[in-house]
Formats: sequence, structure tokens, C-alpha cells
Amino acid sequence: MKKPFRTAALLLALVLYAIAFASQLVLRRFLSVHGLLSADEVLIVSFVAQTLVMFVTGFAVTFVARSSGWRELGAASLLMVGVAFAALKKIEPPSFSPDHYLARTDELVVWALLVGLAGFLLALWGGSFALIIGASESVELKSGYEAGIARTHLRLDRSMLLRLAWIGLSIPGTFFGVGIVFDRFSNGHQVPLWSLPASALSFLAFLALLGDWIRSRVREARLKPGQKRKRPATQVMTFISIAGVAVGVWALTVVLAVMSGFELDLKKKILGTTAHAMLQRFTGDMTEWRTIAPKIRAVPGVVGASPFVFGEVMISHRDALTGSEIKGIEPSTVGQVSELPKQVIAGEVAWIDDPSQIPRLPAKPHAALSSDLQDQDPDQYLEDTYERRKRHPEEDTASKIDDDALFKIPGICIGKEMSHALRVWVGDVVSVITPLGDMGPTGPVPRGKNFRVACILYSGMYEYDMKFAYIGIPEAQSFFRTKDAITGFELKYDDVDAARGLGHRVLDALGNFPYRMRDWTDLNRNLFSALKLEKVAMGIILTFIVLVACFNILSTLIMLVLEKTKEISILKSMGARDASVMKIFVFEGMTIGFIGTAMGILMGLASCSFVERFGLKLDADVYYISSLPVIVEPGQFAVVALISLCLAYLATLYPAIKAAQLSPVDGLRED
Amino acid sequence: MSELPPSDPVAQPAIPVATLVPETAAPAQAPMLLEARDVHKSYWLGDKEIHVLRGATFGVRKGEMASLVGPSGVGKSTFLHVIGTLDPPTQGQVLFEGQDTGAMPEETLSRFRNRQIGFVFQFHHLLPEFTALENAAMPALIQRLPVAEAHKRAKEVLELVGLGHRMDHRPGELSGGEQQRVALARALILKPKLLLADEPTGNLDEATSEGIHQLLVQLNQQLGIAALVVTHNPRLAERMPRRLRLADGLVVDG
Ligand SMILES: Nc1ncnc2c1ncn2[C@@H]1O[C@H](COP(=O)(O)OP(=O)(O)O)[C@@H](O)[C@H]1O
Ligand SMILES: [Mg+2]
Repeated sequence: MKKPFRTAALLLALVLYAIAFASQLVLRRFLSVHGLLSADEVLIVSFVAQTLVMFVTGFAVTFVARSSGWRELGAASLLMVGVAFAALKKIEPPSFSPDHYLARTDELVVWALLVGLAGFLLALWGGSFALIIGASESVELKSGYEAGIARTHLRLDRSMLLRLAWIGLSIPGTFFGVGIVFDRFSNGHQVPLWSLPASALSFLAFLALLGDWIRSRVREARLKPGQKRKRPATQVMTFISIAGVAVGVWALTVVLAVMSGFELDLKKKILGTTAHAMLQRFTGDMTEWRTIAPKIRAVPGVVGASPFVFGEVMISHRDALTGSEIKGIEPSTVGQVSELPKQVIAGEVAWIDDPSQIPRLPAKPHAALSSDLQDQDPDQYLEDTYERRKRHPEEDTASKIDDDALFKIPGICIGKEMSHALRVWVGDVVSVITPLGDMGPTGPVPRGKNFRVACILYSGMYEYDMKFAYIGIPEAQSFFRTKDAITGFELKYDDVDAARGLGHRVLDALGNFPYRMRDWTDLNRNLFSALKLEKVAMGIILTFIVLVACFNILSTLIMLVLEKTKEISILKSMGARDASVMKIFVFEGMTIGFIGTAMGILMGLASCSFVERFGLKLDADVYYISSLPVIVEPGQFAVVALISLCLAYLATLYPAIKAAQLSPVDGLRED
Repeated sequence: MSELPPSDPVAQPAIPVATLVPETAAPAQAPMLLEARDVHKSYWLGDKEIHVLRGATFGVRKGEMASLVGPSGVGKSTFLHVIGTLDPPTQGQVLFEGQDTGAMPEETLSRFRNRQIGFVFQFHHLLPEFTALENAAMPALIQRLPVAEAHKRAKEVLELVGLGHRMDHRPGELSGGEQQRVALARALILKPKLLLADEPTGNLDEATSEGIHQLLVQLNQQLGIAALVVTHNPRLAERMPRRLRLADGLVVDG
């Protein structure tokens, strides 16, 4: 390479690296100040921007340097490590270690090195694209004969492709079909009409495939030793590589679908009980709530707002006692912000406001109870509460109270687990005790009040069903002695995932301070960040399977390059460019990667839909969920496919570059 | 070559005399096509240097035909590779039409090999997975001609070498002589200015060798393609207009 090219390449690399870092920093600052994006989204956007610029850097530098230019990129990366370190030192980012608040110098060094390394790799990646299209002089995007040669190397003629497509479709199709048929005839669900013949067809195809395979085996067994066609080792390796990629992709998609299923299930249950967001004051209770309520409801995007009073109490019935988080709610509006009214398995939420409606006799459980409780044992539960209450009238605390007094006792709604623990049913009287009662001579004396159970709720979250209790706002206010003040508002938005941005809007409408907003992600931060961490960790671990599979591609290609050294030389003697030789092997690797990925995705889709329909049973008492939840998120599948293809591409680079660098005479010498 | 006449599909090439373009310019006055100046080439086996070419100087004019002989292992193939730009010389220059090939970047060099030079090797070096037609068409595809055009030219040139009836056969299904003819067709499809043949008949019997040589001479006369043919066979070498010998790493006339 000539000297002026090198200097130009180095300068270009430096300038583009600087742009990449600047764009990352500026975007982060800009987005986190102005945007409606969460911290994670800001991080993702800014990193993607930086990645793209790094990519372009590698591409451009390769062009200017007229070769891979890795030295220039390396030099620029090293310089950037220094710059990144200085910048980080200035910014003082928070530490990853729990022992320190700000990152220490050694942590910054690691950061800076990682930044430089990642930049270098990304730039090389971009550069590889430039190499493939023949960066040394003129661009050549065409690739006619290269594809043809790659196909002959892999022995992928039309019949082979057809057979692969057949395998890829009929095996998952059969799985899918079994799931559908089972769903139709065992669970009695309606399924789309086309799916039955489709599953029958794929089953037949599967049988035909099996027959074909057996026939070819038999035919081969009958051949005399000399007649047997030897399969080249590279072809076997090709199949193994395809299978490896397919299995990796399959595992990755299924596990992520299951984790998404759990996450969505949890999210649904949480959002059924708690609202999307909670508006409170920084200090003290809200006395002006009647005036701000209409303002909140007027904000576009807010579909419901319900006031609440919050307190921690103990609830007792006879000699059973449990701690509880009690909420004073407005039964008329609570349905706007949560699924509370839909969670009722006995009684009515509205009876909180009108305790005279609560019957003396045990109210019947709702008809849908057993399906509500999914596969938990509803009979046992009813036996312990409802039936017991009927059979033992002497345990009925309410029976000793006369009608006048009884129907004046305010109502309370409790969770199913709490009703089980306290052994109460709708109509029973429980006492609610707050430890922060009146001042006595020796300090605060607990104060208690009787409530009658108005309804029993089942949310599907054990914690919630065990802990939460609901009473009317006036009762809560008088019980906690807060006069007309409330703790805050629960809000519901039209879009859960825009909770953060909408929260800002509401705060703006109220003039911000002294109000503060916590949305459901804040309220359940531990849970969701644990889930996310788990998902990321699982994703990374399983990506290693795909990575290993890509090492298969690597070794297959190296063997192919060795096998085809002569051919490469011949092509080069006929004037094939280095870039063309590189293309041939990149094509081959990508074909393996693509077929493997497609098969893996198909198998993933099939097994997810199989599990979805067939339903893998889980022990509901342990998991509080009756069957393995799976969700096919197209975006997630696309990301998995992308990762797999990217890794396959990376795996092709080394053999492809080595092949391109072979000299034309290397393979011409016949020995 | 595109205006070549159709020839009858028999094994022997038969080119109507009427369409021959006679090579009028006497080789001695024709401009220099390729020149090797003081070319050295060494191989290293461990720390032992094998000095194969030791300052070979040589030139071939447009349309000229020459044979190169020498004992086995003297460096004939090496010399051919060096002047064909497949292998860079350790020292010295290879000029093609006055341009230094050593200074050409990768892409120019590839295009140069593709358009100006045709190689025929001792072992035919055809691609085994492709038919004769596809093999012959490969340089045209490398040049990015459309497939239809490439196949059309390949057909013409296969007919020219007398293989019009073997187009859809793979190399494994052809005889040695036929394979070498396909290789020749492949070398000629883009009408190169120089044909470099490295013992094209080294593995063939006498009669077939004779046919191939006749074909070479004929093509040289018809198309005006300069050719340098390395051969073992002194009888065939004798018949060439110019005879060269490689000895002690030098090219000498005679
Ligand atoms: N790649 C190589 N490495 C080492 N020695 C080589 C290499 N290629 C050729 N040689 C040596 O160079 C000499 C000339 O070889 P070659 O050009 O093939 O001779 P010829 O074609 O005249 O038979 C031989 O001694 C051979 O061993
Ligand atoms: Mg030789």
C-alpha cells in the first residue's frame, strides 16, 4: 500500500471515530433531556448510532486504504481508547460495583479498552463488506458466477434445495399439525379450517420423506462396495453445520418465547391489580385532590384516574391474623384503572360503598370460579372457606350482631389467599387494626375497627392475593384520621409502554412540583429488572450455542478452501478477482447460515405453537400458573435470525479472506 | 472471434480456408507484445534458496509463435507463471505492451489476465462440476458478460476446437485430448493476445498430441494470437517458427 493512502486512511479513521463517539454522547444527552424514551431506549438508540458510524468507518477506511486497513483502524482505535478514557474521567459515570457510587479509575480503563475493542471489531466488520465488493479499485456488486461456484461446492442443486425445503417444512409442520389436531379434538377449541388439511398434508409429506430416506438407505445397502458413491467429507460437514445452526437458533427462539410468555403473564397480572402509574406528592397527603382530578383526566392519553388512600394494617378473624396493605378506593372509578371488578370470585366490589347489600348468609361463589382459579384446586379452597362457613354457623362472628348494627359495618374486599388464611367468606366480620392508633400513656395504642367482607378477589399473583385489601375512601380516611386527604391517584393510560412519557405529560399539566409520578416499571422495578437480566443472560448463554455452530461453519469452510485450492488458482489464472474468491466462500457460509437459521426459526415457530396449543402443564401451586406460557414475538424471532446470520457471516470471513489471499500458483502445481 | 464461421461438428477442427485472415506482418517487424527483463525467481525451502530463474530475458512479438523446451525441473512452468503474472518475479520486470505488470494493482492485474492472456496447463485444470460449455464460458462470466452471451461465445469457440458435439459433457466424461481442447477453448474465448501453454500435450499420446499441436498452429495463423508453448516433445517443438530453450535459469534461442 502506498504511503499517502495510509495517512489518508488513518486520518479518515480518526475523524470518523471522533464522529462516532460524539454522536453517541450527543444523542444520549439530547434524548434523555427531551425524549419520551426510557433510559434503556436512549442507551440502545445511541449505541446503534455509534455502531453504524463505526461500521461506516471500517467501510470507508478500507476503501481509502485500498486494503483491509486494519493497521490504520487499530491505530485509531488505540488513540480512541485514550480519548474515551479522558472523556469518561470527565463524565464520571456511575460504578457497576455496589461498593462505589462513581466508577473508579481501573473500571474506567476497562471501559475505555472495551470501547476501543468494540469499535475496532465493528470497523473491521464494516471493512469486510468493502473487501467483498472489491474495495481495492472499483466497486463490483455483481456476483453471477461466484454464486454458481458456491452452489457447486455445497452441491446445492435444485433437487437438493427442494429436499431441504421439504425437510424444513414437513417436520415442523407435522409438529404444528399434531398440536392443532390435539387442540381441536382434545381441548375442543375452534381452529381455522385450513389448518386441518394443512397438518394432514405436512404429516403425509413427513411420511413420504421418511419413506424416501428408508428407500435410499435400502438401495445403498444393496450396492456392491465398489458401486457405493462416496460422499465428500465437506458435504457431510456442511450438513452438520446446517444442523448445528438450526438447533442453536431453535433453542434460542423457544427459550426466549417461554421467557417472554412468563414476562407477559406477570405483566398482565401486575397490571390487573396495580394501575399503570401512581401520582403522589413528594411529602404529605393530597388535600386538593378534588380539584386536580379533572385536570388529570383531561390529559390526552390518560384513560382513567382513581383516588386512593394507602395504609398498612393487620387483619384478624377469630384467632387468625395477617398483615395487609389496605387501600381506600372509589369503587365507581377503580374499574377504570385496574381489573379489580373482574377479579371478583365472590361478592361485589360495589358493596364496599353500600354494606347493607352484603348478605347475612354466605354469598354463593361466582359460577366461573373454577375456571378463574385455573388449575389450582378450587374445591379445596371452597371446602376451607365457603362450605366450612355453611357447615359451622357457630363460627359466624356476624350472627351475634343484630341487623341494624350489622348492615352499618363498612365493607372490605380481600384477596383469595387472605380469605383462605383467615378462613373467612363474604359476609364475615373481620377486624382491621392499625398499630399507629391513639396516644396512650405508654405511647401509641393500636386501634381497631370492624369490617365486613364484601368481595373476594383473585388476581393470579400470590403476593397480591395474600396481601391486598380494599375499603371505601371515606372509611379509610376516618380510620387513618386523614380528614379529606388522599394518598394519591392511580392512573391508567391508553398505552402501557408509553407510561413514562405520559407521566411527564400529566406532571406538566399539574405544574410538576410537588407532585411525583411512579409508573408500573418503577413500582415493580426489582421484578422486571430481574426478569430482564434473566432474559439477557439466557439469550447470551444460548447465543453461545449458535456461536459454536458457527465454528462448525468456520471449519467446514476451511476444509472447503483446502479442498478447492486448485480451483481457486484456476479461477485466479482466468482473472477472477480476490473479491470474487472471497464472495464465493462468504456465499457458501451464508448459505449454510441461512438454511440453518430458516430451519431453526421454523422449528422454533412450530414448537412454540405446539406448546401453546398442546399446553405443557405446570404445577399451579408452585408456579401460580397452569401451563407453560409461550409467546411468539416476531421481533424477537427476527433478532435471533439476525444474530445467527451475523455470526455466520463473521465465521465466513477468515476462510474467505484466506482463500482470497491464495496465490494463483498455489494450486496449479500438480503433485 | 464472434464473427467466426460455423464449423462442422467433427472432432478435427475444420476451418474454411476462405475465411482465414492471413497474418501478413512478419513477426520480426511486429510490435513487442510481452517482454521479460532480467527476471529472477527463487524459492525457499527452509533456508535453502532454489534459484530457478537467473536473469531470463525474453520477448515475444504480436502474433508470434514460439516453443520452449528444457529438461524437467529446469523452471519452464515457473517461467510461464512469472511472465503470465501468476507469480511475481523476485527481481526484474515483465512488460506487457510496454507496461510494467509489477506495478499494476490487483484489479488491473486480474482484468489483464482475464482479457489478454490465455493459459493452458499440462493437467487440463477444468472445473469438474461444470460442463464443457460452462467451463469454456467461465472467463466470459468472470468478465461479467451476460450468461447468454457467454454461452454463445463458448459454443463458437468449442466448435472452433472441434468439440461442438461435446458441450454438455463434464470433464470426467471426456477423453484426455478432448479435455485439453476444452481447456484451449476456455483460454481462447476472450480472444487474448497471448496464449501460454504449459506442456499441453504432456499427458497425451502421440496422435492426440499431434492434433492439439496442429490446432495450436492453426489458431495462431487464423486468429493472430501469439503463443508460447512449453513442450517436451522435440519433434513438435521443431515445427514451431521460433524455438527457445531454458537452461541455467536463462532463455536462449535454439
Ligand atoms: N513452490 C515451490 N517451492 C519450492 N520449489 C519450487 C516451487 N515451485 C517450483 N519449485 C522448484 O523449482 C524448480 C522448477 O520447477 P518447474 O518450474 O515446475 O520446472 P519445469 O516446469 O521445467 O519442470 C524445480 O526444482 C522445483 O522443485
Ligand atoms: Mg512444468
